[in-house]
Amino acid sequence: MEKKLFIEDLEEITEYDEEAVNMLKRRAMVAIGFILLFLLIIISRFWYLQINLGEHYRALAENNRVRIRSVPPPRGHIFDRYDREIVTNRPSFNVALIREDSFDIQGVLKRLSVVLDEDIEVLWERIRRGAGTPRHFPITLKEDVDWETLAYLENNKYKFSGIRIEVQPVRVYHYGDLGANIIGYIGSISPQELEADEEGVYEGGDLVGKRGLERIRESDLRGEKGSSSTEVNASGFEQQQLKQEDPLPGRDITLTIDTELQRAAEQYLAISDKAGAVVAMEVDSGRVLAAVSSPTIHLEEFIGGISRKNWNALLENPRNPLLNKVVQGVYPPGSAYKIVTALAGLAEGVITEHTTFYCPGHYYFGRRLYRCWKHSGHGTVDVRRAITESCDVFFYQTGQRLGVDRLAAYAKKLGLGTRSGIELEHEKAGIVPTKDWKRKRFKEKWHEGETLSVAIGQGFNNMTPLQICLMTMAIANGGKIYKPQIVEMVKTADGEIIEQLTPELLSELTSREKRYLPIIEDGLYGVVQGKRGTARNVRIEGLTVAGKTGTAQVVRLAQYKGLKEQDIPYKYRDHAWFTCYAPADNPKIAVTVLVEHGLHGGSGAGPIARVVLKKYFEKYLLEQARKKAEEDQDGKA
Amino acid sequence: MIRFDRRLLAHFDWWLLIMFLLVCAMALFNLYSASYPPNPYGTPPYLKQLYFFLMGFAAILVILAVDYQELHFWNYFFYVFVVGLLAAILIIGKTAGGAQRWISLGFFNLQPSELAKLMLVITLASYYSRKEVTNGYTIRQLVVPIGLTLAPFVLILLQPDLGTALMLGIIFVSMTVFVKLRFSVYAILGSTSIAMIFLAWEKMLKPYQKQRIQTFLDPEKDPMGHGYQIMQSKIAVGSGGRFGKGYLEGTQGHLHFLPERHTDFAFAVWGEEWGFFGSLFFISIYFLMLLWGLYSSAFARDRFGMLLSFGIVMLIFWQAVINLLMILGFLPVVGIPLPLVSYGGSSLLTTLLAFGILLNVRMRRFQNGQNGD
Repeated sequence: MEKKLFIEDLEEITEYDEEAVNMLKRRAMVAIGFILLFLLIIISRFWYLQINLGEHYRALAENNRVRIRSVPPPRGHIFDRYDREIVTNRPSFNVALIREDSFDIQGVLKRLSVVLDEDIEVLWERIRRGAGTPRHFPITLKEDVDWETLAYLENNKYKFSGIRIEVQPVRVYHYGDLGANIIGYIGSISPQELEADEEGVYEGGDLVGKRGLERIRESDLRGEKGSSSTEVNASGFEQQQLKQEDPLPGRDITLTIDTELQRAAEQYLAISDKAGAVVAMEVDSGRVLAAVSSPTIHLEEFIGGISRKNWNALLENPRNPLLNKVVQGVYPPGSAYKIVTALAGLAEGVITEHTTFYCPGHYYFGRRLYRCWKHSGHGTVDVRRAITESCDVFFYQTGQRLGVDRLAAYAKKLGLGTRSGIELEHEKAGIVPTKDWKRKRFKEKWHEGETLSVAIGQGFNNMTPLQICLMTMAIANGGKIYKPQIVEMVKTADGEIIEQLTPELLSELTSREKRYLPIIEDGLYGVVQGKRGTARNVRIEGLTVAGKTGTAQVVRLAQYKGLKEQDIPYKYRDHAWFTCYAPADNPKIAVTVLVEHGLHGGSGAGPIARVVLKKYFEKYLLEQARKKAEEDQDGKA
Repeated sequence: MIRFDRRLLAHFDWWLLIMFLLVCAMALFNLYSASYPPNPYGTPPYLKQLYFFLMGFAAILVILAVDYQELHFWNYFFYVFVVGLLAAILIIGKTAGGAQRWISLGFFNLQPSELAKLMLVITLASYYSRKEVTNGYTIRQLVVPIGLTLAPFVLILLQPDLGTALMLGIIFVSMTVFVKLRFSVYAILGSTSIAMIFLAWEKMLKPYQKQRIQTFLDPEKDPMGHGYQIMQSKIAVGSGGRFGKGYLEGTQGHLHFLPERHTDFAFAVWGEEWGFFGSLFFISIYFLMLLWGLYSSAFARDRFGMLLSFGIVMLIFWQAVINLLMILGFLPVVGIPLPLVSYGGSSLLTTLLAFGILLNVRMRRFQNGQNGD
């Protein structure tokens, strides 16, 4: 009934038109095709995203989800030969900002600048420098914050959204600047260093060795980073810790250095305000006991990056603290070179131990006058006396008989003019002149007169303090040149030895050459112990020392000739050398000292060697003194 | 009261209902994961959605009892009611995200623009079935339907809700093209709409709407904005791979990388957790359901029935296509839900009501013997 009512009401709409209905049917079928088309598009898109690119998107999702932070490993420690700590680490508490977690950077920084007592612009500058890193990376705002500040920040966390305290190990230098030029320092990795890092072990902000052993032994000291993976949500809030891999601490390095010896030499140079270098070495192994370069750099200045002002001061300092003079400073060896001339003369047979020359205080060669340092002359001298009294005329004539090339051959045999291969940076080879060398270098012929200068250690000769020490070592130990060794061993933090370095023989004199060494040793003994020796001031009660002084001319200017030494401007004064070994009869240690512009070997450099020897033989000397006292008592009794 | 014809039960389309219920079940299942972990405050979305399903099923039962022909009559009230709400909403509506879209009814926020979609389908079906034309409608005959569409269209655009307004336009175009137009009308309507789009871009679109479209055209320009949402959606779907990460194992959704994860991007959660084969299964059932509905529209009892079921299928189809293409990174973020899958009471109720009507038409296909077969 009701239905009918409706149909009557809507009469017009119920009309039936077959053609119209068929049209709609056809169109409905077309629509079905249309829907199928879209279905196909959608399914192929799913196929493309999920099957073709599935791996790619899976990686992206994983990246989204997991935040990996590296945990810096504690850097390896550095010990001296007696396991005294030279460099270790301590935790530094740094204030860092994670931009992503901060709601109000502006406000937080304003409050921080008060708490940290730091200009707000400085903080902004730090943020600007870190602007390139992802937003969830911490940007360090201030290093090494004290406990009170830490406690305040911790208690008022809510005021400092996005601020995190990060613990970072920093270097502690237990002996201050001891060995600064050999140990070196660390600093933030530079863009170039990052670029060169092909293994991908570094990331921005890492601290790496920049100089010295810190740099050379970087791969041992750095350790392996740990990582902490945390799941984060889209707002960057950490949800849960997924994985924590502890860092592997860097390896510890034990040096051959004896801190007491090193410190004694450093202090003496510092107190007497001298620029120069000191090397002390065990004669039977080449282990370096002390390697001092003065003036030193100040390691504390480099923690957290050196300021531009301090760096410029280092660059402009005329005494060049950045130069490790032990291996990078080259100087004419002066009379210390007479050791080479003497050995060459004896071994080549141009002189014998009995050959004498008469020294009237000068020597004519061609039309030129060559002076002996002692203008009144030494009289008749043999090779022993010539060494002891450092007679120039004797060695002019010996050198003249040898010729420069034969002289150079012996210089090389004694470790001069080549890099020793010590584990220190930028070691210089120095110069041992030969005829060939001069032709190549200056395109000039060698003049015989130049041989005379070379024979007494002047002229083109240029040697590092380390090389002179090697030469001394070879004389002392009977002709062996050991590779100078500065690292004794490398251990893991658990004490497992990774690398144990042993003495390495670089070269050795022939047995024929060795036969002449005692003659030279006699001469060297006389230098300190003899009545007319040039370094009698080095004598130590209870110890016999053998050595050689040297004075290296810096310039030969007529205008300074008449002047007293003290009136010559500093930079034109001669360099002072002293190289020695002790005890003379059973050598243990070789010590070489160079004092820049120190004037005379004996007085300028000798006292420093004396300090080092006294320190090294401290116990031995006490023992000697005790024995002597006992003997005295016995004698009285 | 209305007598219920026993034969109707025999003609009830159980297959359509089964597909429909299957989709509903999977959608609800997915919504649990899409709103996981559950918010400790208030009713979780999947539960709310379940209540709406139950309400909707009840409504479907009521709808089934009445012959759809009566919609001719009731739609007058429905139309006035919805347009009235749309107008009222501009004054008293609840603001969310800069747009006024909801009317608070206490237990839930009614979004009249959702109802407007169904309302427009019924209105146009009613109009076109009464004005039957064999060789295409003229422009003059289209004045009334255009006017009827324009009223809610403009009101929704003012909210502003570009996506839903466009949806009304698409429904209008689909149904109008379906009933056939004179050739000249295509030309006129085509050129006018191009002019309108140009005008709208210049004058009417809000900056955020323009930005969404610009972002879509060049996503690199805005990595953290809307391009970011699409990117995260693609990552979610793509990272599902062949077999998915497993139920409740999706990371993109649970860690909030996926924006609007239980509403507009709900299907991305399905894609992430069930992978290609899971998505294929879901989409296939979903589209089979639509195709079934469309096929049945061809065999409706009368022109009104045909137009109604065609319009309803199109209503769901276009929303689904636009939503899926957005999730898959083919379309900008326009705020169109995936019917039955996206969380949202108004959308769900509207879709359920529409389905009720579809089943109704299907069930009454043989009545009065008016259909030739």
